[in-house]
This record gives sequence, C-alpha cells and structure tokens, in this order.
Amino acid sequence: MVSSFFSDILLHPLGIYVLALGAGFLIPLFDRAHRGSAVLVFFAALAGMVAIAGLNLLAIVNGAPSIDIETAGIAPPFSINLRFGLLEGGFVLAVNTAALLAAWHCLPALRQHASALLLFLIMVMGINGMIMTRDLFNLFIFIEITSIATYALIGMERTGSVLAAGFKYIIATSVATTFFLLGTIFIYYQVGTLNIDDIIVHADLIQGPIGFIATLFVLTSLLIELKPYPANGWGLDVYETAHSGIASLISVGVSAGVFFAIYKVLPLMDSYLTSIAFIGGATFLVSNIIGLKQDNARRLLGYSSIGQMGLLTLALALLLQLEASSQLVLVVGGLFINHMLAKAGLFWLAGIIDRSQLKDWCAIAQRPGLLLLLGIMMAALIGLPPFPGFWAKWQLVMILAEGGQYLWIAVVLIGSLLEAAYLFRWFSHARGTDNNSMGDSSTDEVPPQAVVSLAQQLPVAIATLLLFVIGYVMALAMNIETPGMFLPLLAGFALWLIDGIRGRLKALAMLLVVGAGGYWLTNDLDGINRLFSYLLVGGGLLVSIAVMYRNDDRRGFYPLLAVLLLSLAVLLRAKTSLEFFFGWELMTLSSYLLVTLGRNGVKPALNYLLFSLASAYFILAGFALAYAASGSLLLSDLGNSGDSIGLIFSLLAIGFVIKMGGFGVHIWLPGAYAEADDDFTALLSAVVSKAGIFGLVLIAANLGVQSDIGLDPTYVLGWIGILTATFGALMAVFQEDIKRMVAYSSMGQLGYIVTGIALMSHLGWVSALYMTVNHFLFKGILFLSIAGIVLRTNERMMYKMGGLIKNMPFTFVFTMIAIIAMSGVPPLTGFGGKWMLFNALMDKGWYFIAAFAFFSSAVAFLYMFRLLQTVFLGQRKLEHAQLREAPAILLAPQFIMIAAIMVISAYPRLLLDPLSAAIDPWISNTLVWEGFALQTQYGYWNAPMIMAVVGGVWMVPLIILLLVSLTMKIQKVEQFNIVYAAERPHRPEDTHFAYNFFAHYDRAIGFLVRPRATAFWNAAVEWSHTLASSLRVFYNGNGQTYALFILMYFVAMVLFNGGLGS
Amino acid sequence: MIAEWIGKIGNFTLTLLIVTAYGLFMTAFIERIIAKVQGRIGIPYWQPVINILKNFFKRTAVSHGYMFYLGPVFRIAGGIGTLAFIPVIYGSETFSNFSMAGDLFLVIYFMFFGQLGMALGAGESGHPYSAIGIARGLSQMTAYEVPFALAVISIVIQYDTLSITEIVAAQQGGWENWTVFTNWVATLAAMLAFLGMTGYSPFDIFLAPQEIPIGPPTEFHSAYLSFMSLNRALFGATKLVLFMNLFFGGATGLLELMIKTWLIYMVAIVIGVSFPRFRVDQAIRFFFKIPTLIGIMSIVYAQMMLTS
Repeated sequence: MVSSFFSDILLHPLGIYVLALGAGFLIPLFDRAHRGSAVLVFFAALAGMVAIAGLNLLAIVNGAPSIDIETAGIAPPFSINLRFGLLEGGFVLAVNTAALLAAWHCLPALRQHASALLLFLIMVMGINGMIMTRDLFNLFIFIEITSIATYALIGMERTGSVLAAGFKYIIATSVATTFFLLGTIFIYYQVGTLNIDDIIVHADLIQGPIGFIATLFVLTSLLIELKPYPANGWGLDVYETAHSGIASLISVGVSAGVFFAIYKVLPLMDSYLTSIAFIGGATFLVSNIIGLKQDNARRLLGYSSIGQMGLLTLALALLLQLEASSQLVLVVGGLFINHMLAKAGLFWLAGIIDRSQLKDWCAIAQRPGLLLLLGIMMAALIGLPPFPGFWAKWQLVMILAEGGQYLWIAVVLIGSLLEAAYLFRWFSHARGTDNNSMGDSSTDEVPPQAVVSLAQQLPVAIATLLLFVIGYVMALAMNIETPGMFLPLLAGFALWLIDGIRGRLKALAMLLVVGAGGYWLTNDLDGINRLFSYLLVGGGLLVSIAVMYRNDDRRGFYPLLAVLLLSLAVLLRAKTSLEFFFGWELMTLSSYLLVTLGRNGVKPALNYLLFSLASAYFILAGFALAYAASGSLLLSDLGNSGDSIGLIFSLLAIGFVIKMGGFGVHIWLPGAYAEADDDFTALLSAVVSKAGIFGLVLIAANLGVQSDIGLDPTYVLGWIGILTATFGALMAVFQEDIKRMVAYSSMGQLGYIVTGIALMSHLGWVSALYMTVNHFLFKGILFLSIAGIVLRTNERMMYKMGGLIKNMPFTFVFTMIAIIAMSGVPPLTGFGGKWMLFNALMDKGWYFIAAFAFFSSAVAFLYMFRLLQTVFLGQRKLEHAQLREAPAILLAPQFIMIAAIMVISAYPRLLLDPLSAAIDPWISNTLVWEGFALQTQYGYWNAPMIMAVVGGVWMVPLIILLLVSLTMKIQKVEQFNIVYAAERPHRPEDTHFAYNFFAHYDRAIGFLVRPRATAFWNAAVEWSHTLASSLRVFYNGNGQTYALFILMYFVAMVLFNGGLGS
Repeated sequence: MIAEWIGKIGNFTLTLLIVTAYGLFMTAFIERIIAKVQGRIGIPYWQPVINILKNFFKRTAVSHGYMFYLGPVFRIAGGIGTLAFIPVIYGSETFSNFSMAGDLFLVIYFMFFGQLGMALGAGESGHPYSAIGIARGLSQMTAYEVPFALAVISIVIQYDTLSITEIVAAQQGGWENWTVFTNWVATLAAMLAFLGMTGYSPFDIFLAPQEIPIGPPTEFHSAYLSFMSLNRALFGATKLVLFMNLFFGGATGLLELMIKTWLIYMVAIVIGVSFPRFRVDQAIRFFFKIPTLIGIMSIVYAQMMLTS
C-alpha cells in the first residue's frame, strides 16, 4: 500500500508539480522558523524532481509506455493533458539536473531571499510544464509562468544594469507571448481545439490568411524566445548581467523548454522548415562571428548560448526536412545535452571566478584544476571528442551530406570554427598569455589568483563527469570500438591521478603505459598501418625517452603526452572514418594543450588549434561526402564514392596538408614548433607530423588507386608539396631563432613527402615512405640536439651562440650526421630519398616539379650550414666557456637514431623491402634489385658500394694527413688565434659572423618570402572583426529598440514566407 | 671479388693520378694565359706542383680543432669521390672508375660532400671571412644550380637515362650527335651555370682571390692548404670531365679528353678575363633570369623536339 503510494502518486511525473508547488507553500512556512530549513525543503523538492524524472525515464527506456497525465477527469482533447515520453523525459531530467546544480551554484544568492528559492522552483516547474504539456494554451501559461519567475530572479541582484536587463527581458518576452496568444486564438478559431495532438490531426483545417497568421505567430513567438539574431539584444544583456546561476538556467533551461515547445508544434509548420533552418543557421553563424570581438566573458557566453540554440534549431529543422527523425535523439538530443552541461558549466565557472574581462582570467593561470574544467567545457562545446557534441555533430554532418545539404554543412563547420576561435581565445587568456612564471619576465607579478572552494566547483565537476559519461554512452550507440578507442583517455586519466609524483618517475610511468597501450592497440595491424605503427608508436616512445632530461613538475605534460601518443595508435587502428576522426580530434586537442605548456606557447597554440580544427573540418566534410556517396563509413570503402571522388580527395587532402603545414596554411607551424617545450617539439616534428602523412597515404591508397579515375587533384597536390618544400627552405634560411629555423625546415621536408605521395606511383610512394622514416630520424635528432643546446645555453637565437663544438662534441657530431642525412648528400640516407623522388618525378613527366626539388634542396644547404656554423663553429661566447655536454638521456635516443641512419645508409634494402611490401597491395612493385643495387627506368643506385667508395676516399687522405701530422708539429691554438681586420680579435660578439647570415640572399630574392601568408591571415582576422562590428550595430542597449526589432521580426517572417497573399 | 676490387682500385688510382696531373698542368696553363692577357709573363708550368709540395712539407701547423683538421680531408675526399663516380673515357674499362655505383644524380649530389665538409672545417677556425665566403658561395650555388638542374633534366628527357655512360654512348658516332648540337638550349643553360661553378669572374666574389682572401682557405695553411690546392686542380678537372661527358660527346681517348676539357675551360676563362665581378646578390639575380629562362626553354625543347 505504502509502496504503491510511492510509486503511483509520488513518483508519478505529476509529482514534479506537486513537489514544486508544495515546496512553494512550505518554504515561507519553514523560513519563518529558520532560513536553513527552508533551503533544505528547497533542495529536497529539486532533488525529488530530478529523481522522479530519472526513475520514470528509466522505466520508459526499459520499455514502459509513455505516461499521460490527464486533468479534470476528462480525456483529452477536452481537457489539458501532459505527456511524459522518452523525449520529454530526457529533457525534463536534463533540465531538472541542471537546475539542481545551478541551485547549488547560486545558493549564496538564493538564500538571501526566501522568495528567490520559491521563484526558482516555480521557474523550473514552468520549464517542466513547457516540455510536458500537450495543450497550446497551457503552453502559453507555462511560458508566462517561466517568464515571470525568470524576470523576478533576474532582479534578485538589484544593480542598475541588472534591472535594466530584466526590464528589457520582460518587455521582449511579453511582446513575444502576446503574439503566441494571438496565434493560439486564431488556431482555436479554425480548428476548434487547443490540444496539440488534436490540432495536428486536423491540421488541414488551418488554412487561408488566418491559418497562415496563426501558425506564423505561434512559431515566430517561440523562435523569438530562443533569441534569434538580430532580435536578441535583450537576451544578451540578461546573460551578461544576471546572476550566473540564473543566466545558466535561462541559457539551458528556459531555452530547452522553448525549444521543446517548438518541436511539439513543428508538425504544423512543415512549410516553414526552410525559414526555421535559415533562422537557426543565421543565428548560429552571426552569433559566433560577433563573439569574435567580445571581451566580456559573460556576454561571450551569451553569444555562444544563442549560437548553440541556433544550431539546435537548424539541426531540428533540417532533420525533419530530410525525414531523418529517427536520428533526432542522437543528433538533437546529443547537441542539446552537450550544450546544456557545457554551457551551464561555463556560466558557473564564470560566476565562481567572477572576472568580467577575458584578459583578467589569468587569475586561474595557476589553478590547474579550474583550467582543466574550463578546457573540458570548451572542448565539449565545440564538439571535440569524446563529448556528446562530437558524436552529434558527426551524425548531423553525415545526415546533411546524405541529403545533399552542402551549404548547411559549411555553415555548421564554419560556425563551429568561429566558436572555437573565441572560446579558446578565452582559454588562452586563462592560461595566462602575457605573463608566464617560467619565462624571462620574472619581474612580472603573477596576478592575484582566484580563490575557489571545492564546494563551488562541485556543480561544474558533476557536469564534467556527466559529459564524459554521456559521451561514452553515445560512443557505444555509434558502434565505436570500445574500450580500445577510449584507451588514450583512460591512460591520460590514470597518469593524471599520479601527476603529483616526481618528474622522472612520471615520465617512466608514462613510457610504460604508452608502451603497453600502444602495443595492445597496434599489435594486430598489418600493411601500411603496421609500418606507421612502428614509426608513430615505436618512434614516439623512442623520442619520448628524452623527456626524462627534465625532472621538474611539468603538471599535465605526461598525461597529455600519453593521450597524444595513444591517440596516434587509435588513428592507425581506425577502421571507419568516424574512428579515424575521433583519433584525429583527440590528437588535435592533446597536442594543442601540450603546446600551451611551452614557455610562450599559449598564443601560437591557439593558431595551431584553429588551423588544426579547420583541417579537421575539411576532413570531416570529406568523410561526410564519402559517406553520402558510398553509404559506408569504412575507410576501405572510400573508393566506392563514384563521381565525387575528386572532390572528396581534395577536401581530405586539404585537411591533411593544413595539418602538415602546407604552403600558404603553414603560418601556425613555426610558432607552435618554436614555442612548444623543446622535447615536445621533437615529438611534434618527428612523430606527430607523420599523422598527416599517414592520412594522405590512406586516402591516396583508398581513393586514388582503387578507382580508375585519373585524379587531377594529385597534380595540384604535387605542386603544393614542392612549393611547400621550396618556401619552407627559403623561410628557414632567414630565421635567427634555431627552433623556428628547424621548424620551417620541417615544413619544407614534409613538402617532398607530399609530392612523393601525390605521384601515385610505386616508386613515388616508396620514396615518400622512405623520406618519412628518414625525416623521423633526422628531425628527431635535430630537435633533441636543440633541446640540449637550449638547456645549456638558455638561448634560442643562433647568433648568441657559437663555438659550441668544443663543449658539446657529441651533440655536434649527431647534428652534423642528421644534417647530412637531411641534405641528400651521399652516402647517407637523404640521398636515397632524393634519388627515388627524382626518378619517380621524371618517370611521371613532372619535370618542373623536379627542377623545384633540385632548387629547394640546394636552398636547404644554406640553412643547414648556417645551423652548424653559427651554433657549433665560429667564435664561442665567453660566458659559454664552461658549458657541459647535453645530458646523456637526451643523447641516448639520438644515438639510436644515428645508428639507424648509418645502417639504412649502407643497406637501404633493409628498409625498402618492407616499405615496398606494404605498398604492393595498392600498386604493383616496380623496384628492380640487382643484389643491393636498385635500378629504375633511368638510373641505378648501389648504396653499399657508394658507402664503400666514400669511406675509402675519405680514409685515404685522412691516413695521409695523420702520417704528415706525425712528422710536423701541430700546435693546438686557443680561441681568437686568428688575424682578422689587421688585429687579433678578442670579443666573440664582434667576430662571430652569424647575425643576418644570408643578408645578400635576402637582398637578392628575399622578396619571395615576405610574410604574405601571415599578412593574409591577419587581414582575414581583421575582416571578420570588422564584420562582427557591423553585425552588432543592432545592439544599442535600448529596450524600445529591442521591442521594435521583435515586431519587425514578425513582419519580416510574414514577408519572407510569402506575405498575406498566400 | 677481391681481385676485382683491387683491379678497380688500381685503375682508379691511375685515373686519379692522370686527372690530377692534368688538372695541375691546366691550372698553370690557364694562369699563363690570363697573365698574357694582362701583359705579364705568368708562372712557370710546374709552379702549382711546387706550391703543393712546399706546403705539404711545412714543418709546423696549427689546429683549431678536430673539425678544422678534418675539413681538408672532407674536401679532397669530395674531389676524389666525385671523380670516382664519373666514367672518364668512353668505352675504356680502365677509366670507368666506380661509375657503376650510381648515376648522374649521385655525382651532382656528391659534389656537395666536399664543400660541406670543408665549410665546416673552415668554420671551426673562427675566422669571420671564412664564414662570409661560404655564405656567399652557398647562396650563389643555389642560384646556378637552377639552370644547371633544368639543363640536366632536359638531357635526361632527351636520352631517357641518368647513366653518364649511356649519355655518352648516345652521343657517339660523329660530332653532330653531341648534346651541344642536338640540344643546344640545354647546353647553353648548363654552360652559363658552369661559369658560376668554376668561380671565375664575374662570379668569384665568394673567394675574392685578388684582394682579401676570403672563403674556406682563409685560415688553412701548410699540409691542409696543400690538400685544398690539390683538390682545386682535381675537382676543377673533374667538373670539366662531367661537362664534357654530358654535353660534348665524351672522350674516347686521353688526347680528346684534354682538348675538349681545355676548350670548355677556356669558355670560363675568356668570359672571366672579359667581365668584371658581380656582387653576390647580382650574381644570384643573374642566374634566376636569363639562364633560368633558357633552362626552362631547354625542357620544353626536349619535350617537344627530342622525345619520340
């Protein structure tokens, strides 16, 4: 009896209203006794509302029928009824949970007034009603209840700006609901019922000008409640000024209610779907453009909120238009829950930290926990994995591609990119862009840090947890291989737990975890994937050994590194494009965060992230088109894409080329490489950049060869590659900063590989893969050497070094060998790559590309020599006299790589045979071996013999000179023992020729490398800011104007949809 | 196998001696011609040999460090190695050297070996003039490489091979088969590049031999310097042999080799004594204009006229 009372009465969805209203009566009563007890009642009621929603939803998920609440003892349509089905349940549970967390967040403010507690409950109940009611007029009532409660809660803080914002809010919503009421009346006039289900059944009765006006009024007023651009200035003011808890509830709760109301009446609005999509898309795009210019954190969140609701509206309208309503739960539900948790979390964070200007957010630069929460919220919001938004956005783009809605795909992706731009600009401020405790600016004061208690962080932390959990559930729904794909995150989490222990121990743990995880993920791969697994996972581990040269705390470094390296393994393991994209985005996010850990890494990291995301979106678009064309997500089915194969290849190739720093889109590369931690730069260049190569090989193999369509894009790609090589080399020549120089060099060297892949021939691919391995070896050595140099000298400018050969002989020899291997001078590995590439280019008839390859490899000599000369040779600075050799742990991996270079140089066949075997399934083998000599149509290359001859001709003069040295007196001389300009110099600064080393070259052809690409992208930023300024002229802060806009919005909607004539 | 190698090494040693001797002789010969043009008598024929021997047997030397010590070794190894990969006389097993190890592409890239090593050695001396000279020399090199590479690509299109032996073989059977007549555009581009390669005026600023000595030799002396002078003679002759093979029909005998290489060398000398020196940036721009255009034309020419 008692139990049935609980289950039937109290736990019935109606209990939500009972609890809210009941508590509404009890709160003033208890408040008389004690404010604390009133708060207790308040929380009990909220928790009960969550529990009821949760339990009922669980039952429905497990197969129970949806629950209808009837009133007045009469069946609908003659009475008002409420429904609690799957969708309603999901929304109600989400809203109530958010409300509970928001209540916890703004408890200090709420408990000031007992009425605030009461109003809060009423507001939540109103939202619940908006979701559940099936009666049009009742919907109006609940909207009004919610509006009034919200208005009152906004006014909880009695400052001028809040009250003004609240006034604008109530004016705006009143105007909107008035029209809603008018629309309802018209509908009732025509259909004779207010029950929504009944109206839908008799939708054919809604006709003529009255029907048109009726539906349009209902729809438009609901849309207005979602704050569409430009009639949304009132909403922005509220988001900016209201208490963060209330703002969060307006953003996620009220919006959810209105959104669900739109969903309910949409069956009546078939003819308006295009308008709705347009309104949603425009709002999403424009809000995110304007957000770029915003410096106020709360207002920024406002733009983001409005934008996200626009995206939801867009998705809803398009899905219905494309008759994909079976995907509504996944797409709209996923986007909604993602927006709700992340946006609410951000509002709460904004409330806790309480800094209005973005630049003041460096107040949490020293608070890793808060930074982590902030970063997770933002990552979730822009749809990075593993959060719900990622899966939902993927699915949305796939459906849009299937429906041929390419323009909308572009809108969704561009809007997401813009949102990422301003959100992560904010994150950059929080990371502390300008001041850095590790940098030279030791005189700068660390700004006062925000003081936040754990209790305050609790709601945000719970939201974070929910994001992960729901993300995981969605991953299961998307048939992702689990737990394999989640291993990077698990490993990262495990290492984060032990992040408090000492530096080297953490590094060791990281190596073990990555080693075991990497092995587990990649040991059953074969073909090209297996080859790349050696390079990315094995090579990654090898270079990572060097991270142990630092023993400092490096908070966050090791967990993120584990995520990065294992996400590379996930990339290799991916069978479907979704898994690939998942690994790709995981890699993007983790490497971005790792770059921010560098000394001045925050700003370059933002560039890196934005270009990486742009790259990811091109890849996403490419995959979506492939899915639309082939109907399959399998990577091996990419080739079945029919006519659109050229376009798909182009989109994917653009994505990968951006990630590799291709010509024109390279500007993120030098900054990110230079400012990342020195050991991480080695990983970025030697290992992470290979992910782009893997992607290119993957699509070239699956798209280019399987189909017999001649791909013109490959010729363009060949040119892009070689121009990247040429300009990378030219720009490297003029750098003073050693890391920037080698970064440009990295860009250039990858260019050759792109060209090799673009050749689409066996020899071309072998050369590309060979150069990939070689690039891994020499760039790993170079950047690790540089790490040692920077460690010892604490300098990056090459002209401030010099003569280090005396102090760091091993580093010098390793660098020299790496540079010879890079330059292509025989007998080391570089020659083989150049030789094969040249042969393949001649074979293909790409003669001018071959000429550029010649030229760029000649230019490369300039910077290679400069590096050795200005750092290791010439005059040593006096203060560097006592420097020691780089630590052994840095030299050890270099030594292993040197050994590999030597072996491959003498016996390239050891490497070429497996490379060729991996390519054979795609293109038949064309390598002709005669013993150890490789022959092509044009020439021949006998590496062991070359090695022997060079060794011989080198040893003979050496022996002669040694013999001569025995007979004559060779005197070792000290520094400055030269005569220069008629005197014996004594200051290295005057004598070391290093600064502006190639001034004459600059005078001759420096005009080629003036930073045009940078200028272009800066101009692009400038234009978008100008655009943002002109788009926000509507926001003049005047309530009357805002009300006018709303009226005009109705007029515009009428005109847009054909006016009264239809 | 071992006997074969010993034979090859013996043959190559012979080639090396002949080419070096010829290179030294020609150095003196050219010096004398230049002197005559300038109204001087010039050096005796054996002067280069005397210089090398004198330097080689100096009793003292200083060393700035191990890279400095190894610089000349790299340099002369580069010269010898380049020669080793070029077949010197067509059809002669004795003079084919180790050209079976690699093709034209190998030779072009191996030319950098000695230059890079010597540059590093010179760098360790700490003398700024060395570094300045090398910086200028390298820059100029990137510029003349462009017409040269275009010309090479053109003849690779023409002969459909990268093997020097086969390129020479294709030019046999009469002077009308020489590349200079069949593909004069490529030859013109290559000869313009050759001017830069030899380092005579107007492209000699990276060494500035007349006034302050800059470039790698600045700090090298005694045995080091003798290695470097020896290499200059050897490497110069080697480059001539390469050009002769690629563009002038190769040689079937030593006499033909000497006459042809001397004539090729004279191109550089005549232009050298006739024109004043370019500044390095002017030299770079020069190579990127007319010679590069000619080089591009040579590829178009080869593609349109010389492929079947």
